[in-house]
Amino acid sequence: MSNIVVLVKASLNPEVVRQNPDGTFDIDYTPLKISDVDRNALEEAVRLKQVFGGKVYSVTVLTWGPLKAREKDLRLVVQEALAKVADEAFVVADESIIPGDYSVTANVIASVIKKMGLNPILVLAGEASIDESTYQIPGRVAAKLGLPYVGYVRRIREVRDGRVVVERDLEDYIEVLEVPLPAVLSVTQELNEPRPPTLIQIRMASRKPVHMLTLKDLGLDVKRQRSIVEMRVVTVSRKQVLIEEADVEKAALKLVEYLEKEGVLRL
Amino acid sequence: MSDVIVVSQKPSDAGELIGLARTMGNPVIVAFQDSAERVEELLGYGHRVYRVKSSRPEVLAKAVNILYEEFKPKLILGPNTRNVKDAMSVVAGLHDIHMAPDVVEVRGEVDGVIYKRGFMSERVTITVKVPYPTIILANPRIAEPAPKGGVGELKELSFDSMGVKVVEVKPKELSGINLEAAEVVVGVGRGFKAKDDLRMAFELAKLLGGQVGGTRPIAADLKWLPEDAWIGISGKRIAPKLYIAIGVSGAPQHMSGVAGSKIIVAVNKDKAAPIIKQSDYGVVADLYKFIPTLIEVLKRKRGASHST
Ligand SMILES: Cc1cc2nc3c(=O)[nH]c(=O)nc-3n(C[C@H](O)[C@H](O)[C@H](O)COP(=O)(O)OP(=O)(O)OC[C@H]3O[C@@H](n4cnc5c(N)ncnc54)[C@H](O)[C@@H]3O)c2cc1C
Ligand SMILES: Nc1ncnc2c1ncn2[C@@H]1O[C@H](COP(=O)(O)O)[C@@H](O)[C@H]1O
Repeated sequence: MSNIVVLVKASLNPEVVRQNPDGTFDIDYTPLKISDVDRNALEEAVRLKQVFGGKVYSVTVLTWGPLKAREKDLRLVVQEALAKVADEAFVVADESIIPGDYSVTANVIASVIKKMGLNPILVLAGEASIDESTYQIPGRVAAKLGLPYVGYVRRIREVRDGRVVVERDLEDYIEVLEVPLPAVLSVTQELNEPRPPTLIQIRMASRKPVHMLTLKDLGLDVKRQRSIVEMRVVTVSRKQVLIEEADVEKAALKLVEYLEKEGVLRL
Repeated sequence: MSDVIVVSQKPSDAGELIGLARTMGNPVIVAFQDSAERVEELLGYGHRVYRVKSSRPEVLAKAVNILYEEFKPKLILGPNTRNVKDAMSVVAGLHDIHMAPDVVEVRGEVDGVIYKRGFMSERVTITVKVPYPTIILANPRIAEPAPKGGVGELKELSFDSMGVKVVEVKPKELSGINLEAAEVVVGVGRGFKAKDDLRMAFELAKLLGGQVGGTRPIAADLKWLPEDAWIGISGKRIAPKLYIAIGVSGAPQHMSGVAGSKIIVAVNKDKAAPIIKQSDYGVVADLYKFIPTLIEVLKRKRGASHST
C-alpha cells in the first residue's frame, strides 16, 4: 500500500494579530487557521493519490493553547484536510506540548506516523508555516524517520520506478532531482493552485474518522527546549490617508501634492 | 578546541558570522558553494576550513553532521539561505537540538543563547532562550565583521546524498537590479491582468527614477518579473523613500518586506484590501485608469518645472 501523509498545521493567523494593552502579543485571542502552504500540499495529494492508489492521512499537532478555546479553529483545519483529500485525520492535542517546540513537534509527528502504522510512501508538508515560519519541521521529521528530505519543491514532474522527479527551488538556482521513495518533501506555493473543497466534499468529511491523540496514547515523553522570554507586536504607524475620488485625474493630482509635501518626489 | 561551527555559503556572509562566533567561542568553518570555490578568502580569517565541494543541502547536512559528532560544539552558526535552512533542519532533527532561522539579534549566555526573530510574518518579534547546543541562522548585519589575519588550515570533505540524484540544474532568471538600494520602488501585484500591462509600472518607475519589483506570485508563479525582483519575507527586503504598491493586496508576507519604506502608497480598486490600512496614502481606484493618468500628471509637472 502506498499511502501519503500530509502535515497540516493549525497556525496562528498573522492577518489577525491581537495585542495586549502593554504592546505584547496576545496569543490566546489570536485565532488559528490552516497554514496557507499546507493547502498546496493537500492539493498535490489529490493528484498523487491517484498515482499511488493508497490512503491519504493528515497529521496535525496542536501547538497553541488554551486547548478548550482552540477546539473550533482546530476542527475547521482538520475538516478542510478531510474534505479536500484525507481519508483519516490524526490530531495530537495535549496541554503538555503547548506552546509548541520545534523538536517536540517533529518528534510527535514522527511518532504518529510510526506508531499509527501510516506507512507512507510520501510525506508532504509546506515550506514554512505562516505563524512560526521555521522552515524545519519537514526536515526534522525526515531525520526522525530516516528518510531522504527535499525541501522547496516547486513542481512534482512525475513518479516513476519508485522515484519522484521534482524541481527544487534553492537560493540561487533550481535543481531537477530524482528522489527515491519513501521520502519527505516540503512544497512551495508555486506548486499548484489549491481549489477550495466543494460543499459535497465538506459534507462527506464529517463522516471520516478523526483520531484524537495525546502523548500518553503515543507513549511519548518529550523535553521542551525553548522558553519564550517576550513577544512584542511591531507597531506600524502609517498615515492611512484615503484618496477616493470619482475623477482619477483629481485623485492623481491629490496624490502628487501629498508626495511633494513629503519630499519624496524628484522629477 | 573548537566549539562553534560556522557555515559559509558565500564569502560575503562569512565575516559577520565569524565575528559573532568569536564572541561565543572558537570557530571552525564549513565552506560550500561559492565559499568552497573561493576558499582562500575564508582561510584568511585564520581558522580551520572544511571545504565541501557541493552546494547541495543533503551533502552539507552530512558534512556538518560529521563535524558536529566530532566536535560536539555548543553552537552552529550559518546564513539564513534556503540551502542552509534545509540542511540544518536535518541536522537539528538528528540531534534534537533547537534551530532558529531568520535571527536578527543573538547573545550568548553561560547556559544558552537568547535570540530575537520575527514571528507571525514579522508582525510580532519573539525573544527566546534556548540551552546549548543550538543552531542559529542569522540575517545580514547580525554582528561586526571579524578582522582577517593568519592562515587557516584546509580540509576536504565529500559525501553522497541519500540516493537523491541531480538530473539538471537550471539557473534562475535574474535581472541583477538592486532593489535594496533603490530610492523609489514601484511594486506590482496580481491586480495586473497581463505581463504587457506592466509597461505602465516601468514607465512610472522611470519617471520617478525608481525600480520595479513585485509580489511573489508575479515573480515566482507568473514569471512576469525576474526572481530577484520579488519583494517580501521570502524575497527582497526594501527600504526606499517611496514605495508605490499597485494591485497588491497587502499580505503580511509581502508587507514585512516593505516595512522599512519611508512612505507607502497603495493603489487598489478594493477599499477593503488590507494594504489600504497599512499605507500612508491609499488610492482607491482601478489601476488601469489611475496609473496612466498619474503618469500624465507627472509628465505635465515635469514639463512645467523643466521649462521654468
Ligand atoms: C511562506 C510564505 C511566504 C511568502 N512570501 C511572500 C513574499 O516574500 N512576497 C510576497 O509578495 N508574497 C509572499 N507570499 C504570498 C502572500 O501570502 C500573498 O499570496 C501574495 O503577496 C499576494 O500577491 P498579490 O498581492 O499580488 O495578489 P492578490 O492577493 O491576488 O492581490 C491582488 C490585489 O489587486 C487588487 N486589484 C485587482 N484588480 C485591480 C485593478 N484593476 N486595479 C487596482 N487593484 C486591483 C485586488 O483588489 C487585490 O487586492 C508568501 C506566502 C507564504 C505562505
Ligand atoms: N504543529 C504542526 N502540525 C502539523 N504539521 C506541521 C506542524 N508544524 C509544522 N508543520 C508542517 O511543517 C511545515 C513547515 O512548518 P515550519 O517548520 O513551522 O515552518 C508546515 O507547512 C506543515 O506542513
